[in-house]
Amino acid sequence: MESIRIDPKRALDEALRAQQKLAASFRTLREIDDVNYGATDKEAIYTEDKVVVYRYKGKGKPTAKAPILICYALVNRPYMVDLQDNRSLVKNLLALGEDVYIIDWGYPDRADRWLTLDDYINGYIRRCVDAVANHSGVKKINLLGICEGGAFSLCFAALHQDKLQNLITMVTPCDFHTKDNMLSHWTRDMDVDLFVDTLGNVPADLMNFCYLTLKPVRLNQQKYIAMLDIMDDKVELENFLRMEKWIFDSPDQAGEAFRQFIKDFYQGNKLVEGGLEIGGHAIDLKNITLPVLNIFAEQDHLVPPSAARPLGEHVGTKDYTQLAFKGGHIGIYVSGRAQREVPPAIHEWLAKRTR
Amino acid sequence: MAKGAGSTRVQGDWQALSQQYWDAWTDATRNAFGTTADASTGKMPWHEGLEQWSRLFDAHKAQDSQSEVVERLLAGARSYFALLQSLAEKGADGKADPQAWAECLRESFNFPGADAALRDNPLARALRELAGHGAKGFEQMMQGLEPALAEARSLLDVPAFGFAREHQEHYQRMAKAWLDYQHETNRYNALIARASQRAFTLFEDKLGERAEPGRQIDSVRGLYDVWVDAAEEAYAEVALSPEFREVYGALVNAQMRVRQGVQREVEKVSNDLGMPTRTEVDSIGKRVHELHRAAKNRAESDAALRAEIAALRADVARLKAGPPKAPRPRKPTAKAAARQRKE
Repeated sequence: MESIRIDPKRALDEALRAQQKLAASFRTLREIDDVNYGATDKEAIYTEDKVVVYRYKGKGKPTAKAPILICYALVNRPYMVDLQDNRSLVKNLLALGEDVYIIDWGYPDRADRWLTLDDYINGYIRRCVDAVANHSGVKKINLLGICEGGAFSLCFAALHQDKLQNLITMVTPCDFHTKDNMLSHWTRDMDVDLFVDTLGNVPADLMNFCYLTLKPVRLNQQKYIAMLDIMDDKVELENFLRMEKWIFDSPDQAGEAFRQFIKDFYQGNKLVEGGLEIGGHAIDLKNITLPVLNIFAEQDHLVPPSAARPLGEHVGTKDYTQLAFKGGHIGIYVSGRAQREVPPAIHEWLAKRTR
Repeated sequence: MAKGAGSTRVQGDWQALSQQYWDAWTDATRNAFGTTADASTGKMPWHEGLEQWSRLFDAHKAQDSQSEVVERLLAGARSYFALLQSLAEKGADGKADPQAWAECLRESFNFPGADAALRDNPLARALRELAGHGAKGFEQMMQGLEPALAEARSLLDVPAFGFAREHQEHYQRMAKAWLDYQHETNRYNALIARASQRAFTLFEDKLGERAEPGRQIDSVRGLYDVWVDAAEEAYAEVALSPEFREVYGALVNAQMRVRQGVQREVEKVSNDLGMPTRTEVDSIGKRVHELHRAAKNRAESDAALRAEIAALRADVARLKAGPPKAPRPRKPTAKAAARQRKE
């Protein structure tokens, strides 16, 4: 039996359809304005240097007993959690009665070149947590860390557990030395000191280039060929462009923090193997005895599930829950499945544990 | 591929279909842009059609924010259309085995106008196409420096002496760093070429698996998707190997040494012109940051101290006020007094 049965007439139809879509795209692209992002109103409740903490405004009064503070990664902009009206983790959490705050790290420039992980974790995050607790009138809050922000949140919880009720990690690596972790593999023989001493801050374009090379054909060719299918659909094209904006709207990385993150996490794997210090304080995940919910994505090419799944073995808590989401690193926020599954899971888990 | 008796007829049909395609494309451009396509279609009408789209989009640019997306779309679509034409044209003459389809796929990547250095190496092409501004900037910088580096290379083995010996040694180091970077780039490219070859083998394997009924591929897009799976699988095999890890690290480190050499040169020129250098700015930045951090820590400890002092003052005030007075015995009420008298 032949494996390929392509009728030339059908191939011609495919080509013609693609051409028609290209022709239509010329009109569609002209009709599209700059894409907007961020579906939910928010107000700044705390600022420090370039860091801003926002509180999202829900339609009703929150019914949750303690607020959630989202700690996003430094490597992308945090509006992924509230990208658009029908793709918003934040909006869905608010609808369930949660009170949601978020840390926006801003865009570091050369003035931030010397920011260390100590500045981020024991400085900014600690003061942001205090600000949210003061603003909402509680002593302890819930912290939700995402990706690199999740790794920061683990460190923070290990040092300042007295400020938290519950910890949620999403697509957060803890074991950086698993076999399928391509990013980690590539950094292992890099001279990070030479890298940071040369570049100062690490340019966002360089970071994006690195991420795209994880799957060069899928992310640079196949994705855009699939885009042909939606070139005559204004709404779908806007969604696509919004996502494109998010992907490439990336901040530069503060040099010193990057140096330490690559050395201690990617190269040294100290978060699970031990020896990690932040600002002279030893980080021991066994110190985390509060309830932990660990959510990871089964098709994540940036943080493989193998890097996120072992967290339960390393934290000291007896109340550990994990949720494996069927999707990828981005899909966990923006897919239809994510809208249905992730916010209710977080809400129900918190409702049983928040006092 | 087998050329049967009906092959000539099928090829004739194919040419007629290609002509139909080209006519339809001409109509589409006329409707979209009000212009007519270049009539010189050449041998590759499908691929050429896309090239003309590229030119038309360029001439009628949409917003700047969208032009990069269009650029990426057309770059991605280019390989797809080349594949479309190659597969449909060569598949039109009848049955073929997976190896023949893989060969057909390989040829589609070597379309006219494609960089000959990337022949049979679609992964290298994909990597080149996605070069972000960070990487592009470096390549462009190095192109600009090439004449100076060529000059420096000629001095590589000349011993340095005299007043300018330090400068000569600096240029020698820069030239060596550049040669080293080229060497590491070649090692990296060799691995990517290996991944490309492996991708063709995996593609054949995957086609072999699709022979059973219900799993056959009946569209070019479907075939393209199988190719992408094969290419990514092959790339991941190589990219996760110990050899790639070593080569990748060496390449990054080599590039950084070249950048450092260039930066030193820029600093030297800046110094000569009396301009502030990056080293100076970094040094000032570090001091400011340390002061900033110390001020924040001081402010926090001051606040804690103020709170402690306030609490202590409150305690002192209470102590100064003396022990709380014992409550005076209350006068018995008239009823209680009467009851006492009775008792």
